[in-house]
Amino acid sequence: MSGRPASQYPKRTYANGPRSAEMKHSMSNDAIQVLGVIKRYGATTAVDNVSFNVAQGEFVSLLGPSGCGKTTTLRMIAGFIEPSGGVLRVHDRDVTHLPPNKRDLGFVFQNYALWPHMTVAENVGFGLKLRKKSRAFIRDKIAESLSVTGLSGYEDRLPRQLSGGQQQRVALARALALEPQVLLMDEPLSNLDRALRVTMRRELKELQARMKMTTLYVTHDQEEALSLSNRVVIMNRGKVEQVAAPYELYENPATSFVADFVGVTNFLEGTALGMDGKSVGVKLASGQVLRAIAKEAVTSGTQVRALIRPERVTLMTASIEGENVLTGRVILSEYFGAVLRYSVQLDSGEVLRSEVHNFDGFIEDGARVWICVLPEHLRVIPQETAALT
Amino acid sequence: MIRRILPPLAPALIALLIFVAFPMLWVLRTSFNELAGGAYVVDALTLDNYTRFLGDPWYLVNTLWFSIRIAIVTTVISVVCAYPVALYIAKTTGFQRNILIALIMAPLLIGLVTLVYGWIVIFRGGGLLNSLMIALRIYDDPVRYMWDIKGVVILLVYIGTPYVVLSLLDSIERISPFLVEAARNVGASRWTAFWKIVFPMTMPGLYAGLVIVFSLNFSAFAVPLMVGDSNTQMIGLIVYREALLNNDLPFASALSVIMVAVNALILAGMAALFGRLILNRLEAKR
Repeated sequence: MSGRPASQYPKRTYANGPRSAEMKHSMSNDAIQVLGVIKRYGATTAVDNVSFNVAQGEFVSLLGPSGCGKTTTLRMIAGFIEPSGGVLRVHDRDVTHLPPNKRDLGFVFQNYALWPHMTVAENVGFGLKLRKKSRAFIRDKIAESLSVTGLSGYEDRLPRQLSGGQQQRVALARALALEPQVLLMDEPLSNLDRALRVTMRRELKELQARMKMTTLYVTHDQEEALSLSNRVVIMNRGKVEQVAAPYELYENPATSFVADFVGVTNFLEGTALGMDGKSVGVKLASGQVLRAIAKEAVTSGTQVRALIRPERVTLMTASIEGENVLTGRVILSEYFGAVLRYSVQLDSGEVLRSEVHNFDGFIEDGARVWICVLPEHLRVIPQETAALT
Repeated sequence: MIRRILPPLAPALIALLIFVAFPMLWVLRTSFNELAGGAYVVDALTLDNYTRFLGDPWYLVNTLWFSIRIAIVTTVISVVCAYPVALYIAKTTGFQRNILIALIMAPLLIGLVTLVYGWIVIFRGGGLLNSLMIALRIYDDPVRYMWDIKGVVILLVYIGTPYVVLSLLDSIERISPFLVEAARNVGASRWTAFWKIVFPMTMPGLYAGLVIVFSLNFSAFAVPLMVGDSNTQMIGLIVYREALLNNDLPFASALSVIMVAVNALILAGMAALFGRLILNRLEAKR
């Protein structure tokens, strides 16, 4: 991913006047830089010192539960909300205090926000008309954008004559027609039914890859975020919890919030014993010691949580001996076709969830089971960060 | 469908029939009758009442055409006054909003006679309006508002504006703020976003307000009666005079029929115009 040569940048005066020294230092390949952005509403802080970046051509998702500040962050980047503090840069241009019409960013709204009194073609061509492009250019651009989104032939329809999925495509075509530097999307698929959502998600991914459009995507749907993104920014209560690639996020959650929010996870509470490299002992309430992996240094004697994903909890019906073996009883089994989910109550009282493939056989409720937990599948997170959840 | 809807609506339909349709048909029938001996209505089938009106330039120009002009002028002024007010109220919430709406509605809740007495204080020679205008050096000597066309226009605007504000407010508040944001996002300034997105979408409310105020003001009789003079003989006032002072019910009926017909014609023209301009798009079916 290479940055654009300086000459390609549109010539504009910066909102806050020339700030040559500082600007030069922060020149980067990043299409979007969010630097310590804050949004306060009275006494509550909706967005609390959020920083992250989106590289040129990258697809980044803002993921979090409702009310975590992800949409507020996106709307601040678009210029619909004025930040209380921090700096927003788009292609190294400070846009923090620019009005939305001067930012040159595409935006796709959750409810599509198509203008009901304009036809599909008029909706798509509106921004081009404002830019005083020639009629022929506008006509070609409308046709191109509609063909990219699979809506050729719908030019003269009114938005209300279209289905939800088609309206979403028009909204996307409207954003793409202007060839914005960056595309911002606010839960664009959440109003569609499930089957259509999955189809649109795939199309979106293909389209983004083909056009290499820098995209920042807000969603509360972890499946969407993981499958679409190069990187995901997880937000909770106005703060960034972790910024990582989907695989990292799932396999190496930084906090127990991330572990809990992304996928299903099991928590085992315990006390940390001495560390040996990355390996650490966790003493459970029952007195049993499990070997686990810690990414960061853990102080001996502190309270920690050990995480293990359900698909890593393998159940055996025959007795096994050795390190990291837990014993328990199946209290609930659920059949989902391809997978089976078990709830196992350990002899020490905790309940672990297990997910196995159907070809591994079926275990009856009440059956006694042995679980061998591999240290590399057991990840330790200090309790300080875990205290949030 | 009709069978299912009709029974619950029957009482309303009967009431409509008795109180609206029947009197109107009676007026239509009466307009073809004639007057005998100065006061007695005699059944007849004559067009005399219509020819008397249509053949007299004074009626055509000084009442009918005058009423149309007054209605157009007052409606346009009402809309111009109402639009910024509606935009402002749409931005307010809670207590402030309730107070503003109550203030807007107030003129509609006060009886017209009381209202006119209030305005006399404002209109008279040394009254509020004249003092203000003279203080602002807009003119030097007191101007006559009471018993003059100026007073009629001001009062009709005053009474008409709240209707336009309320119907516009409804339209404005239906507009999702996202639509404006979307326009700003593709490069529209505040003004362009208003002009290209908000304004067209308020057309249904503007249209409803226009229809109400135009109809009210075209057929106004109380305001020209109380505030006007011999130069403000609006058609509603003539109907009142013929029916209640001159006891010429057939002529008054013919005037009423003409009044309703002209009003309907103008409203139909407005409907066609607005429909073609914008309403067809906003109200298009799937």
